[in-house]
Amino acid sequence: MSETQFDAIVVGSGISGGWAAKELTEKGLKVLVLDRGSMIRHGVDYLGEHAEAWKLPFYGMPNRERAASDYPIQSKSYAFSDATIQFFNNDRQNPYLRNEDKPFNWIRADVVGGRSLLWGRQVYRWSEQDFRANETDGHGIPWPVGYADIAPWYSHVERFIGVSGEAEGFEHLPDSEFLPAMDYYAVENTIKQRVRKKLPDIPITMGRVAILTQEHNGRAPCHYCGPCQRGCSTGSYFSSQSSTLPAAQATGNMTLMSDQLVERLVHDDTGRRITGVNAVNTLTGERTTYTAKLVFLCASTLASTQLMLNSRSELHPNGLSNRSGALGHYLMDHLAISHTGVLVDDVDTYYQGNRPNAMYIPRFRNVGGQDADADFVRGYGYQSPMLRPDWEFAFNRKGFGASYKDALLRPSPYWVWALRAFVECLPRADNRVYLDAAKTDRFGMPLLATEFTWGDNERALVQDSAVQAQKILRAAGAVYSLIADGSKLDEGGDGVHEMGTARMGNDPATSVLNAHNQAHEIDNLFVTDGSFMTSASCVNPSLTYMAFTARACDYAVKQLAAGKLT
Amino acid sequence: MNRREFLQCAALISAGATVVPRGWALSQDQTRYLAARPPYIDQATPAFFTTAQRADVRAMADLIIPRTDTPGALDAGADRFIELMVSDWFNEAEQRHFMAGLARIIERSGGDFAALPPAQQLTLLEALESESADANWYAPFSTMRVWDDSAPFICQLKELAVLGFTLSEVGATQFLRSNPMGALNGSLPLGPDDPAYDKESMLRSFAQEASQ
Repeated sequence: MSETQFDAIVVGSGISGGWAAKELTEKGLKVLVLDRGSMIRHGVDYLGEHAEAWKLPFYGMPNRERAASDYPIQSKSYAFSDATIQFFNNDRQNPYLRNEDKPFNWIRADVVGGRSLLWGRQVYRWSEQDFRANETDGHGIPWPVGYADIAPWYSHVERFIGVSGEAEGFEHLPDSEFLPAMDYYAVENTIKQRVRKKLPDIPITMGRVAILTQEHNGRAPCHYCGPCQRGCSTGSYFSSQSSTLPAAQATGNMTLMSDQLVERLVHDDTGRRITGVNAVNTLTGERTTYTAKLVFLCASTLASTQLMLNSRSELHPNGLSNRSGALGHYLMDHLAISHTGVLVDDVDTYYQGNRPNAMYIPRFRNVGGQDADADFVRGYGYQSPMLRPDWEFAFNRKGFGASYKDALLRPSPYWVWALRAFVECLPRADNRVYLDAAKTDRFGMPLLATEFTWGDNERALVQDSAVQAQKILRAAGAVYSLIADGSKLDEGGDGVHEMGTARMGNDPATSVLNAHNQAHEIDNLFVTDGSFMTSASCVNPSLTYMAFTARACDYAVKQLAAGKLT
Repeated sequence: MNRREFLQCAALISAGATVVPRGWALSQDQTRYLAARPPYIDQATPAFFTTAQRADVRAMADLIIPRTDTPGALDAGADRFIELMVSDWFNEAEQRHFMAGLARIIERSGGDFAALPPAQQLTLLEALESESADANWYAPFSTMRVWDDSAPFICQLKELAVLGFTLSEVGATQFLRSNPMGALNGSLPLGPDDPAYDKESMLRSFAQEASQ
């Protein structure tokens, strides 16, 4: 075995990379973490935190000119604003190819910590039903992993990150290790009881969220300022900066380098072992090859796949570990669509604090078997925020003077409840990414091209989400409802849950990775961001990336110790 | 003078500039942290409106949201916000649309809107509003968008006055109120005269995607 500079190199420092750094360093490995983005120091570099609207340029109205010139894709994200812009990718500097007929919007960070700074923080375990979905209905390939394999790793992750929520005992949405749940609004308690009475098969629970409701592992509980995506200097929500990177740093085993874009992985003459990680310093253009015994790709779904495709060689002519041809294919996202209702209950109550969370209605369709009336497979859950409208909904009225002003003052005498369905997306080969060798970025790396469309099953799920939302809103006592007809759908990527493109499976002929996130064809290469996903479930995926990352680290270190990776 | 300000001055001198450009001389902390910045409207007012136009817009903003037992649009600097937005946020087509509307109402006022008695000013605004009555701007729940660039001048003027008032420091703290954070209580009693909270972010920003 040749000399290497490090035991392991982790590419990316977001949700998955942070976990790989923590687990590998805590197991005693010397780890180099490379991130293409600039450094964000916890607390110190959250430049938009706690800035009042009146201090923001244009009082927080979006800077449309800059969005159009430099952030045409990123500005589609609700989290994008002057207070968060420093975290986002500059689309002009770092472009990808978007097929206008099959559009996919790639929302990406460009900082250390990645989207762990920007994520929605909702965390839900997968269930056995999710892991069995592919083999049950024949879409995609079977998962090589079941709930029993990953459950202990969910617990391992949850105990560290801190998850608030309610234990419900749902079989198809297993409980996490919970901190106390966030408080319901009075109106939410009212409708929860109504829906429980009228629709007992559609329970409502408080959102499960990686935000602390009490002190946890030295991190302070949430102070309910609201816009988490600006960064949280009290570390009350889980991010790489608040949690995993400090843990890795504390071991003394981590070297973290920002501004290092990994362009290519190089292997030995057997093709079964990565020997070098080629990176370019994005500030100076200087190129360096780093070496290690192990490589963990955690660069984010599309970036990791781009890197594997770009590392093609004589022995891996279609990209690394891609004899199956699956690399780049089976791209998935969650399709979200909102149905809203107006409630006039409990209007004499308000709330204190901005709750960065909402109620959740877990999947209730095709649970435990195919519903007789369902012309679709799988299902959806509703993230369901409750909103108290105010002047923002009331200023567009006639009048001037004191009476007009008066209408701007009080909260409106109603609540708006949004049922935002997150629809499971089936894995389809024609939803894909590939390299366009004719077009390169500023460092000469071929651009990633994307193609994505929704399928019939997703459309059918959207239609059903409308029918069921109408039913739920009626049961809740809504006096008015606005049901989306599905004629205009979000584009691929808008869910920011992109996953797949390097899926895992037992069969190397149809998959890129094995059950331990290890490349079938390269022993010391592990890929643990969303690219490994073989199906999508309908729940938010980050918790699952974390659990698989921790599990893969455990496996890799044991393999290394056993001398099987040299 | 910190290093950044020094460099700014040096750049100006070497460029032969004689007029300090609009904008703040910010300290390093103010450059870095948005929360350390002075209010957005505290920068020098752009010379976009003429003096007469500025006085007319002031008078209109005052009619839209007057001072009552709480501060009004002018106390909150909403007139400065309007000019900054028209100058710096509007694109050229939006500027033409807005300025044409402003020119028309000034013309209908006989050339000096600000000089008219307030009752006549109000009559003019109300006339404009009744002529615009079928605009989509007035439709319920139509405000979940970034900007309605087809809305009539009077609607856009009102909207800018509202944003310049409710989002300002004065409007957020002396008309509306700050959300008492630190703890979460989902069932706080709301009295009939209790104001809404100020905004940590506007819902319309969620509509960015739909507007593109």
